[in-house]
Amino acid sequence: MTKELKPVTGRAWVFGNDVDTDQIIQGQYLTLLDYAEMAKHTFEIPRPVFTSKVKKNDIVIAGRNFGGGSSREEAPKVILQSGIRCVVAESFARIFYRNGFNVGLPLLIIPNVAKLVSDGETVTVDICEGTLSVRSSGDVLHGKSLPTRMLNLLKEGGAVAWYKQSVGKH
Amino acid sequence: MGYTLAEKLLASHTNDGKATAGDIVEANVDLLMVHEVLGSRILGVLEEMEFQKVWDPERIVVVNDHWAPASDINSAEIHRRNRNFVKDQGITHFCDVDCGISHHVLPEKGLIVPGEIVIGSDSHSTTYGAFNAFSTGLAATDSALILATGSCWFRVPESIKIEVTGEFQDMVMSKDLILKIISDLGPDGANYQSMEFHGDTIDTMKVGERMTICNMSVEAGAKCSPMTVNGHVNKWMETLAPSKKWKPTLPDNDAEYIDSRTYDIKNEPLGPMVAIPDNPTNGKAVREVSGVPIDQAFIGSCTNGRIGDLEIAAKILKGKKIREGVRLIVTPASKHTWMMALERGLLKIFMDAGGIVTNSTCGACVGGHLGVLGAGEVCISSTNRNFKGRMGHQNSRIYLASPATVAASALKGAITDPRSV
Repeated sequence: MTKELKPVTGRAWVFGNDVDTDQIIQGQYLTLLDYAEMAKHTFEIPRPVFTSKVKKNDIVIAGRNFGGGSSREEAPKVILQSGIRCVVAESFARIFYRNGFNVGLPLLIIPNVAKLVSDGETVTVDICEGTLSVRSSGDVLHGKSLPTRMLNLLKEGGAVAWYKQSVGKH
Repeated sequence: MGYTLAEKLLASHTNDGKATAGDIVEANVDLLMVHEVLGSRILGVLEEMEFQKVWDPERIVVVNDHWAPASDINSAEIHRRNRNFVKDQGITHFCDVDCGISHHVLPEKGLIVPGEIVIGSDSHSTTYGAFNAFSTGLAATDSALILATGSCWFRVPESIKIEVTGEFQDMVMSKDLILKIISDLGPDGANYQSMEFHGDTIDTMKVGERMTICNMSVEAGAKCSPMTVNGHVNKWMETLAPSKKWKPTLPDNDAEYIDSRTYDIKNEPLGPMVAIPDNPTNGKAVREVSGVPIDQAFIGSCTNGRIGDLEIAAKILKGKKIREGVRLIVTPASKHTWMMALERGLLKIFMDAGGIVTNSTCGACVGGHLGVLGAGEVCISSTNRNFKGRMGHQNSRIYLASPATVAASALKGAITDPRSV
């Protein structure tokens, strides 16, 4: 079953550069076995109000090197669990980038995005087109189009669904 | 045009024998290491995949190291699940809570072989580059896919050539060198790339010292950090993995690098380095931060918990007492390291100095147990990460340094140049 990737509209949560995985979900919570429980601690250090204020379809915006550090897949998982529909950053750390698509969290790279979007603004992200539009100003920011492999992973609904579709058949 | 180490190591594992930087290739994995992530996350993914049997029970290593022995009920449950999985799947290589830290235990058991592809469910899996292997960290879903299929897709990385020449000065360690290199590169300076190490310093370096460098290459974002085989690696393999057959892999002379950097530590001597909070790439010369008061001094981890690390710390601490009010915690990297340290009298030196010696675990480094930091506390640590909250409370502060600098700082109760004690 391939999913349609519709544009998402939500409020922007803007972060700076080098948001490492401990800032997304701290090591002390990794032994929690339930993601819903763990997600209560998402962005606890840099944005203590995040989990109480986040709404479904909100969007995380960040500067360079988002998700550096640990390989923990819990990082994109808790972001997704919080209701965030995609992360737009100036660049992503390698393992986080892979993990995001594996678990079905779209990640888009747009130069200077953290400087061009203000916290709390309503934005619309079109993953297929690689664009972010700011509602108040009407500005449209253009990012890199997604590599085919990553787009296909999202359309399948993540790596497990992709595995069951392709590898699992043989 | 020739090929880099990363390209050659990957190419030897693809069906068509090809791998050029920028390509996406499917490669066969020789060894997969999974730790507590197996019980906490991977098993759930495997269930979703409707998985039956692992691809090869002899090519998987399961390690219980992060919270060893269990620090709470959840980690105990994770360990229990791992033990059951090992039994159910007939996994050959299992290192339970008594063995030590994966990145040291795997080489010690002779499981890391030059020329192979080794994947770990842990970002510090770059460590095995010290053995001329292609090794990198992935997370739960990719590990689950490898467990089922034995293969994985990779984007072949571009390579940065790093050449180091000259000898270390007294009390300067390979930790100081890698802190300097990653600070020059920045936290994403090698993102998606291979850091390929060369030069006479690397060629003559002991295995443990090389592992420290490869371990921390990931802090600059590197995907892998392969080195060529040297005499010490040869001897290690002869001693610890005599039955393994392997050939060294060398890069071509005309390999293409996207960047190259040289460090001449003979003509531009390198001194002890300290990475200040909250990033490992915030390296400063020790004199810039000396005198910062500390609450805890930690020696251990996959970065610097090896016998050579404990020896230099013991040399500094022998016959002395650490500053009152400071905690010194020493966590040897493996049971084998612990026993060697016992036989050589190092553990007694640490205890006599007022320190605490723990069992081997990732414990304190991940803020798990056996050395967690409280609010406002300052720690100087031989570990690899000083992100906010990494070792405990979000308002604690971590300074990263070599075991020599950590030991000297424990004596003075403040960050101290090890050449001054």
